[in-house]
Amino acid sequence: MSTASAGLAKKLGYTNIRVYLDGEPAWSEANLPTYSTSDFIKNGNVVLIDIRPSKKAIAGRIKGAYSVPYESLEDKLDDVPRNAPIVLYGDKEVLDAVAAVRAEGFNFVSLVKGGYEGWVKSGGEIDKGPIFNTEIKWVRKLGKGEVSVADFRKATTGEDKDVVIVDARTKEEVAELGIFKNTINIPLDEIPARMNELPKDKKIYVHCSTGARADMAYNEMVKHGLNVKFLLLNIKDAECDCEIIRP
Amino acid sequence: MNKKKLRLLPLCLMLALLAGGCAGTQNAEVAEAPPAKEAAQKTEPLVYEGEIAGVSERAKTISITVGKGEQAKVMMVKFDDKTKGVNNAAKGRAVKIAYEMRDKDAFATDVQLKLAKLPPGTSEIKTPELQKLINDKAPIYLVDSRPLMRYNQSHLPDAHSIPVPLLEEKKGEVLPKNKDIPLVFYCGGPT
Repeated sequence: MSTASAGLAKKLGYTNIRVYLDGEPAWSEANLPTYSTSDFIKNGNVVLIDIRPSKKAIAGRIKGAYSVPYESLEDKLDDVPRNAPIVLYGDKEVLDAVAAVRAEGFNFVSLVKGGYEGWVKSGGEIDKGPIFNTEIKWVRKLGKGEVSVADFRKATTGEDKDVVIVDARTKEEVAELGIFKNTINIPLDEIPARMNELPKDKKIYVHCSTGARADMAYNEMVKHGLNVKFLLLNIKDAECDCEIIRP
Repeated sequence: MNKKKLRLLPLCLMLALLAGGCAGTQNAEVAEAPPAKEAAQKTEPLVYEGEIAGVSERAKTISITVGKGEQAKVMMVKFDDKTKGVNNAAKGRAVKIAYEMRDKDAFATDVQLKLAKLPPGTSEIKTPELQKLINDKAPIYLVDSRPLMRYNQSHLPDAHSIPVPLLEEKKGEVLPKNKDIPLVFYCGGPT
């Protein structure tokens, strides 16, 4: 993408063009700061954290922010899914905090431009007073093509009869671990050849062990005009709790 | 043996078209089925170019997104011990996959990374130099070429969001008037 843009700029007559090929991933990896836009902070599905001492957060904080002083940050983040986008702000210590949170395994960590003061200056909304929400809660929003766990469960119980569930794991995995009720096993690699076994007038939910193969199977089925969704979940997760027919 | 292969070839190619449905996509080059006898010499290699959408070691399968925007399609190929460069297949990487049809299945023969090439007259900048320019508040114009969503989530200090399609449409309107100002473009990595 950057090279395409650089090529265009060259054609437009710009004389001094550089390309940072390593890009944003290398910048983050070097633990250099990146920023989120205020639109993303306000409307995105983010975990916004004020890492200043709680006294300061009580006096004024960005609307929707959790107050987690830097020293307790690691504890509080323990149970937060690692794919949650974390947006931090604070005083000088915030740059260290970015490195620490990235080291905890979070893939998306960014900052508020100018911190709290910058937010206030740009007219962003704030909260004041005592803080009640101390437990960080973050629920991933369903992505394109995903089925909710609740809907998936309804199909396995037979409550929703308008669905064919496809288990995209290998035959060996199914033989070892069992299969959900009302489910047929078509291993991912056999799906292209066995597409005609799947009905076009029903919903199809596809799952595997973690969601990676299910995602691939989903893309394959979409191309063939099937009404398909996939389960992005490790089926060992307690959240699934669907009945298994044991081998 | 050879003769049998020749006879099967047009069938395989047709199946490739049917199974893949990729005849209309831009990046997928699929050879048309030529008359059987010439097929062996003149067949172009089958190739998918695009970003890896997923890899399954268990199913020995790679998914790759080919084509752009509305036309983008995710194609699936299998791989085996003979496939070269399987290590290059990781989600999100831009690659070129050469494959062949075996019966109904596409098998990858070679997976190569597609590394971005610098356009003539431009030069690369590495992290330390860019960091220094940004810290020193040097007069550069830093451009994030990724889609706006990605910029919104996380961008470099003082970067401007100009996704590639926007630059293609608006051209110089979205860049500084001063054509001698150092422009620095970045995106999501070298592949």
